[in-house]
Amino acid sequence: MSYALIVAEVRRGIFEERNLDSIGICAQLGKETAMLLPEGQYSFNEKMVDSIVKVKAGEEVFLNPLNMAAIIGKIAETRGKPDFIVFTHSSSGTEAAAYTAGIFGFPVITDVSGYDKERGVFRKSYYSDKLFGEFKTIGESAAVLTVRSGSFKEFAAEKSAAPNEVSVEDVPVSDSRTFVEYVEEEKTDIDITKADFLLSVGRGVGNKDEIPAYEELAGIMKAVISGSRPVIDKMWLPKARQVGTSGKTVKPKVYLAMGISGAFQHIAGMKDADCIIAINKDAEAPIFQYAHFGVVADMHKVRDALKGILKG
Amino acid sequence: MNILVFTKRVPATQEEELRLISDGKDVDFSKLPFKVNDWDNYAVEEAVKIVEKGGGAVTAVSIGSAESDEVLRRAIAMGAKDGFLVEVDQALHDPFARSALIRNFIQKEGTPFDVIFTGVQSEDDQFASVGGILAALLKLPYVSMVIGIDSVEKDHMIVRRELEGGLQERVRVATPCVVSIQSGINEPRYVSIMGIRKASKVERKSFKGTDYDAGKDAHIELVQWTYPPKKGGAQMLTGELGDVCAKLMEILKEKGVYQ
Repeated sequence: MSYALIVAEVRRGIFEERNLDSIGICAQLGKETAMLLPEGQYSFNEKMVDSIVKVKAGEEVFLNPLNMAAIIGKIAETRGKPDFIVFTHSSSGTEAAAYTAGIFGFPVITDVSGYDKERGVFRKSYYSDKLFGEFKTIGESAAVLTVRSGSFKEFAAEKSAAPNEVSVEDVPVSDSRTFVEYVEEEKTDIDITKADFLLSVGRGVGNKDEIPAYEELAGIMKAVISGSRPVIDKMWLPKARQVGTSGKTVKPKVYLAMGISGAFQHIAGMKDADCIIAINKDAEAPIFQYAHFGVVADMHKVRDALKGILKG
Repeated sequence: MNILVFTKRVPATQEEELRLISDGKDVDFSKLPFKVNDWDNYAVEEAVKIVEKGGGAVTAVSIGSAESDEVLRRAIAMGAKDGFLVEVDQALHDPFARSALIRNFIQKEGTPFDVIFTGVQSEDDQFASVGGILAALLKLPYVSMVIGIDSVEKDHMIVRRELEGGLQERVRVATPCVVSIQSGINEPRYVSIMGIRKASKVERKSFKGTDYDAGKDAHIELVQWTYPPKKGGAQMLTGELGDVCAKLMEILKEKGVYQ
């Protein structure tokens, strides 16, 4: 039977919304869908898939790439080889996708954000969305995909019948990689998700010594300062101030992005702000595609000019 | 502990305009500067930190053109003992092809290692797949998005993986294994020009990719490059800087975040 296997991402019992993009791409591919889920009850519209395969294992076993490859092997034995194996483009989804591709010798394309039906090509980001590469698979074997959040969910639709449900038992569990525990981020006084006005700085800030001047500007404007990944990685701002998928998702009234080019993981964390203003010296920066207002300029000059106006 | 760490030379595309040439079959890199892949820089630092503390040696390996010697010298300046270049004539776009080449190289040369480090992804193609495919091909356990190494023991490591929304997962992984390092795990040391010059005196070994069937195991092919799809786009504020900033302040007042 020709079908696509969707590996659902659940985290701490929550069915992640980006699974809808995995369902959506399967609709585009015109494939019947079987969705793999760990044991537990999840809140989502089950009618959007043709069948549900419940794996008798907790999420920490299920999301382990070594176990997942073994589970997929078991399913292929009974159902036949899938045409596609679809994961979310997330920390665990991408990890398991690459490993699965290696185990079975399948092609893998990650961070897929477009599919051209006529030409049978998948589109993926290069250079932080400055370019896209169009790929097709070679040969007839199943292809492993990870799907970018927000790219295909509009195509996820209800099927006419409720899904049939089967379960997989005797899950092979690896002892060479095992889950120990979840680790929460340290609690801090500042909560950037509650701010109405965020002044966010990115890689363009260039130098740690420039940060205090932005903190000063934020202070005068009564904005809360935040940052994108490169600034947090370099420890120029604390982790609690990070906007993006691995940090916080924010929805302020105004998001003033200075020197942020707009990598997808950042956009995902701020795209729902009421008003996005982007300042970047690169006119081609992807962030201008998502912003409401844009200024092509040196961020430091804008900072100093704003300070001049506010102090004057 | 002996650590093999992979490092890649990539174009520095931040704030650079990328131009497609030959009807989208190629990207014009002729005017771009090149640099070490950010994630690999963190991976090299993490490897060097581990051997500085617990003994062993770091070997840096780069797959690429002859110019990739730059990133090997850099890794040696940071503390790697050896640098191996596996030279390929053209970019291997398929991560499967790259992982297969690495496997062939490691197996044919009998390169000893306890752990293999890669960066989570490379800045250019963002596939984030080479480490995972390589682990599977070598039949080793795999951990990616590693944002902290809590302990390194004789037969295992305890590491932390970065998940979404600030959450992490602590994992025990048996060695030998493949680990993909996330950016921000450490503070990569500063490398001076003097340091790189000194590193140049350390001999690097060069290998020919064709001796390891480079490119033979491709599972996907690049059809063409395209520019990003245009969305709505921002309303651009132009003119004198003072006027632009005055306009910005008006917007902030209008949105009610500044009085």
